[in-house]
Amino acid sequence: MAYNRLPRRKIAAYFADELLAGHDVTRQLAAYLVETKRVREARLIVRDIEAALADRGVLLADVVSSRDLAADTKDAITSFLKKATGAHDVKLRTSVNANLLGGVLIETPSERLDASLRHRLNQLRATKI
Amino acid sequence: MTGHLYQFAASSHEAGGDIFSSLGINGPMLLFQAVAFVILIVLLSKYVYPILIRAVDERQKNIEAGQRAAAEAEEKAARAQEEIAQMLKEARAEAKDIVATAKDEAAAMIADSEKKAKARAEKIVRDAHEQIEKDVIAARKALHNDTIELVALATEKIVNKSFADSVDKKVIATAVKEEA
Repeated sequence: MAYNRLPRRKIAAYFADELLAGHDVTRQLAAYLVETKRVREARLIVRDIEAALADRGVLLADVVSSRDLAADTKDAITSFLKKATGAHDVKLRTSVNANLLGGVLIETPSERLDASLRHRLNQLRATKI
Repeated sequence: MTGHLYQFAASSHEAGGDIFSSLGINGPMLLFQAVAFVILIVLLSKYVYPILIRAVDERQKNIEAGQRAAAEAEEKAARAQEEIAQMLKEARAEAKDIVATAKDEAAAMIADSEKKAKARAEKIVRDAHEQIEKDVIAARKALHNDTIELVALATEKIVNKSFADSVDKKVIATAVKEEA
């Protein structure tokens, strides 16, 4: 059976709406990608879904730090993201990378804030003449 | 003396002969000799004397020519001497001019060389200053870069060993506040 190749934006919008409605769309998305032979686009589609969610006020942010973040730090980051993006709901996806040395790296679908010590040191090194 | 002549004439008269006989002179012979002498004179005048005179004249001419030539040569020598003196004078004047010109040129060349040497020395000093300045700038850059690298490495080491959670928390809070 032949499928019309839908644009990624439409697919993302559909699955974002489904997620906001409280449906688990993981299997459905996987099945769709396999069926339409677009498995290679999975990462891009997931990113588009995150962007669509952000447009709808739900922000998914990747937070990388050199050690586990305390609850109040997470709250501070959440508050900051709400204020900065206007999102009413912020979900943090945290991970630890000791190579950052300290500070935090925050990535949203549209923005990137690198406040890590590693980045600061790299900036310092970049001032070499 | 007159007495003696009278005495001789008297003795000759007394001897009964004429005076020519007394003297031993033969008249015809004398005549013959006179004619022969005249002929000799004529022949000599006609054939010998002209040749001798010509030779003498020629010799005289040659002598006069030699004298003229000698005089001319002497005159020429004198003129040449004067010319030489004049040439020497001119040559001395010219040499003096040449020496003066050479001195002037040498002085000009020395002045020019001094000027060039001075300019070259100034350029060398200027280049040296520029090179020193470049070296200083390069050294400053190297120092700057080394310092940055050292600070970065030291920070990494210190942070790895003794970066407390509380400090990290403050760092994150500060970063979030700065971006807000």
